Amino acid sequence: MNDRSAARILSATAVAGLAGAAATGPLAGWERFWINWVQWFLFLLTIGLGCLFIVALEHVVGAKWSVPLRRVPERLSSLILLVSPVALLGLLSLRVLYPWAGPESLQDPLIAGKSAWLNVPFFTIRVAACIVLWLLSYRIFVRGSMRQDQHRDPGFNVRVRRFAPAFMALFGITLTVMAFDWISSLEPEWYSDVFGIYIFAGTFLAGLAATTLAVQYLMARGRLPGVVPDHVYNLGGFLFAFTVFWSYIGFAQYMLMWYANLPEEVFWYKERLEGLWGPLLLALAILHFFVPFFALIPRDAKGSPRRMFWVAVVMLVAHWLDLYWMIFPVIGKDPVFSWPEIAFAFLFVSTALLWIRRAMTRGADMPVGDPFLREGLEFRL
Amino acid sequence: MNRPVFSVLGLFDSAQQLMDAIPAVKGKVSGRLETYTPYPVHGMEQALGLRKSPIAGMILVMGLIGALSGIGFELWTEAVDYPMMTAGKPYWSWEAFVPIMFETMVLFACFTAGLGMLFLLNRLPTFRHPMLRSKSMPLITKDKLALAVESDGQSLDVGAISALLESLGARSIEVVEQPPAAGPASPRFLFRFAVGVAVTCTAAGYLTYWGVKLLPKTVPIVHMLDQSRLNPQREAPFFRDGFGMRVPVAGAVARGFMPYQMHSESEADLLANPLPRTEDVLRKGRRDFNTYCSVCHGILGNGMPTLTAAYGAKPANLVSETIRGYSDGRLYRAIMAGKNAMTPYAAELSEEERWAVVHYVRVLQRALNARDDDIPKETRK
Repeated sequence: MNDRSAARILSATAVAGLAGAAATGPLAGWERFWINWVQWFLFLLTIGLGCLFIVALEHVVGAKWSVPLRRVPERLSSLILLVSPVALLGLLSLRVLYPWAGPESLQDPLIAGKSAWLNVPFFTIRVAACIVLWLLSYRIFVRGSMRQDQHRDPGFNVRVRRFAPAFMALFGITLTVMAFDWISSLEPEWYSDVFGIYIFAGTFLAGLAATTLAVQYLMARGRLPGVVPDHVYNLGGFLFAFTVFWSYIGFAQYMLMWYANLPEEVFWYKERLEGLWGPLLLALAILHFFVPFFALIPRDAKGSPRRMFWVAVVMLVAHWLDLYWMIFPVIGKDPVFSWPEIAFAFLFVSTALLWIRRAMTRGADMPVGDPFLREGLEFRL
Repeated sequence: MNRPVFSVLGLFDSAQQLMDAIPAVKGKVSGRLETYTPYPVHGMEQALGLRKSPIAGMILVMGLIGALSGIGFELWTEAVDYPMMTAGKPYWSWEAFVPIMFETMVLFACFTAGLGMLFLLNRLPTFRHPMLRSKSMPLITKDKLALAVESDGQSLDVGAISALLESLGARSIEVVEQPPAAGPASPRFLFRFAVGVAVTCTAAGYLTYWGVKLLPKTVPIVHMLDQSRLNPQREAPFFRDGFGMRVPVAGAVARGFMPYQMHSESEADLLANPLPRTEDVLRKGRRDFNTYCSVCHGILGNGMPTLTAAYGAKPANLVSETIRGYSDGRLYRAIMAGKNAMTPYAAELSEEERWAVVHYVRVLQRALNARDDDIPKETRK
């Protein structure tokens, strides 16, 4: 199948998905519509943010090995551009999904106590501020890097190296705000200090998995000359390490709440363990931790394209499942997966792939203006 | 005097020279190739054709054994051997066991990695390795790299190897000889070793003794003991009534116990014996009856005690017609609440044991009032 026919198929599935998604509101209820909306825009947004984090990480630590690969996460992080308007439209979901957004919620003392933070105007300001900060960072990191292709100014590296640590702090705060606002405030009585870090672990893994897939896509087409399995090995090392990080944070959050057994904390897990959600959580643990961890243990596995491809695919599915397990229990006792979810999957995944396909044509395939490119290409384990 | 040759080694100036020399020597001469370098040289394993180290597999296996040992040990001690309820959680609380399982896994894996590498695979300490006597060693630990052809049991062709190494650019050639055969286990060495251990132990013992005697006493670390806490049977001004031990909240029910609510004998008649009349139950009933009841009621339950009449009161004849007419619930109540001069036995016997004793009392009643048809036909006269 060539690229052009793939694009045609993607356009067709996107249109079909759009029709299905549009029918969801009237036919399956607006709650179902908006929950899918939030689920899917967060899925794409976390991939984009994870990729932006990978770019910033390279600048913070001054890594050389990742310079030849950097254009891939740079391009993928443009998903933030695609998702920003979707996130702003998502503000319409507040009255439908978020209990604190209605005036009647103030009768609950637990929610009333949080009303200084959880109210529609401030929420909107926070969402907008996060998006502005992300877009600004995108502009500095990615646009700057693309411009460097032409003018080859090494000063760019110095400037972003100064900016990157500040971005790290901003990223930590904005990602935590995003996690608290969009996901955990679906059930505003619940709170978890470590929730932002948990979401960060998933975000970074999703970014790494998407980067791995895109790198393999480009390598298979010979568009990354000089990139060898040693480079892919490092991506694999990151994936390997952060599967452990994710499960560590996830389990620590669960275990502390399980131990303390406070009603305003455990109910969140109770909802997510009862009925079919329990087996779903088990599947999440297997896909998000056991499969990638044991698949990547051998040294040769991290550089093997085939193994890395499957691990990355499993990781993206697991990341989606992770969000699904956190978000969907608010609309019902049992997991729902039917035509609305499939329609939204078609719409968002197809659109994202079309967007990435277009992004893959922007600029050179490697940061040709970066003075460290040569050194990066010479990287061997 | 000529000792057998251990190896012929050539010193090189750079890693590149060394790497180039390896394929030129490999297969050309008999003997085993070995390199000595002041720092790790990438690609050396492949150049020498070394097999993959088994340490990774060893660590994986030992890590899994560590994890299983940890969780198995916790399961056995906490849930099987001496079931202990902590913080109101079930005995088998895998959540609480995971951190320790993780630690034992890391412990086993780390010890395998460290000790396995040092002692099992590197065979340290090899005090008498021939290379330790090599004159090139000081240079190798500084900035020279050595390529050695080592004897694999057969004698080496010293002249040919030296010529070959020299032709490849070796700065200097050294012929390393096998050290003299006397091992570290010579009587002289063993004697010195034993004296050394004895002197060290004696010195350490006296130092500790006089150190404890002469130096000012330091208080041991007792922070855990020094906390404010309540010991049993002590006063506590913190509470209004001054008692340290608290009475359970009114209406509190111990886990696994139903409160006994029969306030009179006629109410007690309503209770039925929940236990089946199996041999096992009757056996347990007999054991407890003989332990607690037979002292006064007699081993047959007929009110003829093993203690004499000096006791004063006249114990009830449990097999009398009156008591045979009692319901199970009324017998149970006598054990539970006491009757006349008899004190309650609720603290001595658990609920199940009390009901088992009731069953056994019925057995005694029937045995001492047997009808003809209770006796098997063939033994009747």
